[in-house]
Amino acid sequence: MVKRPLPTQQERVLGEDDFIVSKTDLKGIITYGNRHFIQMSGYSERELLGTPHSILRHPDMPRVVFRLLWDTIQAKREICAYVKNLAKDGSFYWVFANITPSFDRAGDLIGYYSVRRKPRPEAVASISEVYQALLAAERKAGDGQEGMKASLALLNQTLERKGISYEEFVFGL
Amino acid sequence: MKSLSLGSRVHLLIGLCLALLLLAGWAASGPHPLPSLAWSLGGASVLLLGLALYTAQRILKALDRLTGHLTAAAAGNLDSRITGIKAGAATGELAWAINDLLDQQEAYFREVYSAFEHATRGQTFRLAMDQGLHGAFKEAMVRVNISVESLGQVQMMALKEKLISKLTDLNSGNLLTNLKSIQEYLMNMTQEMSIVGQLSKETAGDAEASRATIEGLVVDLNRVAEMAVASDAQVRLLHEKSDEIHQIVQVITDVADRTNLLALNAAIEAAHAGDAGKGFAVVAEEVRTLSENTKDAAASIAKTLRTFGQATTQMISDSEQVKALAEGSRMAVAEFRTRVLKFAGSATTSFTQMSRAQDLSFATLVKVDHFLYKQNGYRVIHQGTTSPEARAVQADHRSCRLGTWYYEGQGAELFSHVPSYVRLEAPHADVHRNVHEAVAQLNGAWERNPATQSLIYAHFEAAERASETVMATIDRMVEERHRLG
Ligand SMILES: Cc1cc2nc3c(=O)[nH]c(=O)nc-3n(C[C@H](O)[C@H](O)[C@H](O)COP(=O)(O)O)c2cc1C
Repeated sequence: MVKRPLPTQQERVLGEDDFIVSKTDLKGIITYGNRHFIQMSGYSERELLGTPHSILRHPDMPRVVFRLLWDTIQAKREICAYVKNLAKDGSFYWVFANITPSFDRAGDLIGYYSVRRKPRPEAVASISEVYQALLAAERKAGDGQEGMKASLALLNQTLERKGISYEEFVFGL
Repeated sequence: MKSLSLGSRVHLLIGLCLALLLLAGWAASGPHPLPSLAWSLGGASVLLLGLALYTAQRILKALDRLTGHLTAAAAGNLDSRITGIKAGAATGELAWAINDLLDQQEAYFREVYSAFEHATRGQTFRLAMDQGLHGAFKEAMVRVNISVESLGQVQMMALKEKLISKLTDLNSGNLLTNLKSIQEYLMNMTQEMSIVGQLSKETAGDAEASRATIEGLVVDLNRVAEMAVASDAQVRLLHEKSDEIHQIVQVITDVADRTNLLALNAAIEAAHAGDAGKGFAVVAEEVRTLSENTKDAAASIAKTLRTFGQATTQMISDSEQVKALAEGSRMAVAEFRTRVLKFAGSATTSFTQMSRAQDLSFATLVKVDHFLYKQNGYRVIHQGTTSPEARAVQADHRSCRLGTWYYEGQGAELFSHVPSYVRLEAPHADVHRNVHEAVAQLNGAWERNPATQSLIYAHFEAAERASETVMATIDRMVEERHRLG
């Protein structure tokens, strides 16, 4: 396992016409990554394969987003989310991730497939504010179950006020 | 050698090998043969040949692996990827190119699937993302999105239609029940009203008969008065006649007195004799006059007595008539009394009947109003949330017509004592709450959201159920009030 880098303010930007592709098994262990993935993350293919996807987890990301992510894909549905990732050198890069479940011929879940695209800067600006609020709620309530509960409540409340679903919110940014 | 393609690498190795062999041949058979050099050159070329063969073998094996992935992809399995690609490997570039192709294909298919899958649920905001796709994949995506959007449109229309037709079903089902209940009320009311009409006709008939009775009575009484006047005249005549009798009796008394005196004189004269003849002639004259007078008086008495008898007969017959008249009046009065009593009775009945009819008509009115309130709720779906209908349904269960009737109007006044009165409030409030909630959902993007649509339907259904209870409770209230009185 690779040790975690210290986050810096350095930003990497994904190409307009490129996408990052990665695949994981049912536990989120990376089984494939394309060249953009390797290049943006700063890790070699050898370092990435067999490693949990959380290797890219950035401390600015609220936990509730990953909770929502896993709840959704484990229910065999697609999820789209804005994610701030941490590269090997401590720099960060924003992506609009789309994760879908993969099935075998028998229809059984065998893993997950993810495509990440360059998000629009306006969308990043809006979602950053939401994430900051969620993160603050998580930290205030302590980092255990309570924190998760508080930020989930805040997220639902925000969506309810707008009168839209999470998906609609994300695609409307 | 890193930057060389796999073909040129093998070519280079074989070329090198041939050059070494030529050099070895030249060293062995040239003008100055150098056998040791020839040997080593020969050995090196053999070694290189071996290396070339080994490389070719490895390339073939790698190509086999790539062929396997491509065959799987051709068979429709886009999942597999080539991993562990060595940075300097001869087939590395080829492997990445295959991975990129598979990534493009898989991303394309997954995007198309997701977009269509959302669109069939009416969620057109989830378009297929073409970012990162290249060439034909990207171009195809544009057309895919046109289809997705039109499918979404169709789906949205279909969903909207479905909700509307479901609501129409719900509404028309209840509409019929509502109309039937109102019709029943109107029929009941008509019946009550016709009973009232019948009663008032009877009452009018009775009154007419009573008037005739009274008029007859008045005529009878007038005749009684006339008779009383007539019999008074008879009595006065009788009185006069009795005076005459009195005078006649006086005359007779006078005559008797004088006769008595004459008899005395005649007796004295008789005593004187002699002159008897002359004196007696005078006496005889006197006696004759006297007797005539007496005759006249007797005749007068007989006449008077006759008149008296007539008057008496008249009087008797008059009093008999008066008796008959009095009897007739008594009967007329008795009849009049029964009539009046009957009139009072039917007036009471028609009052009860009238008040029931009034209750029924008011109940019908609040029912119609309540029913219109619900209809307005349905109309908001077509007319939108800024329509007059939308404003109309904002009324709560206290401010609508039924509410005003219930809390401060006739409803409170006339029905608050019946048991069902308190049971009206909860279902009535429920109707308003559900219609409000259904209409609130119409503010959002309900047209493309099946979940919102089922919520709207559920609220309307709940409103209809509560409304049924409202109608039944109003019926019971009217019934209870007239049973309890
Ligand atoms: C296919 C797939 C892709 C993922 N991509 C990312 C990613 O880009 N960045 C990230 O932080 N987490 C990603 N995750 C989520 C991680 O598995 C993990 O849940 C997350 O980093 C939070 O870490 P934690 O669960 O250890 O808290 C991905 C998961 C799956 C299944």
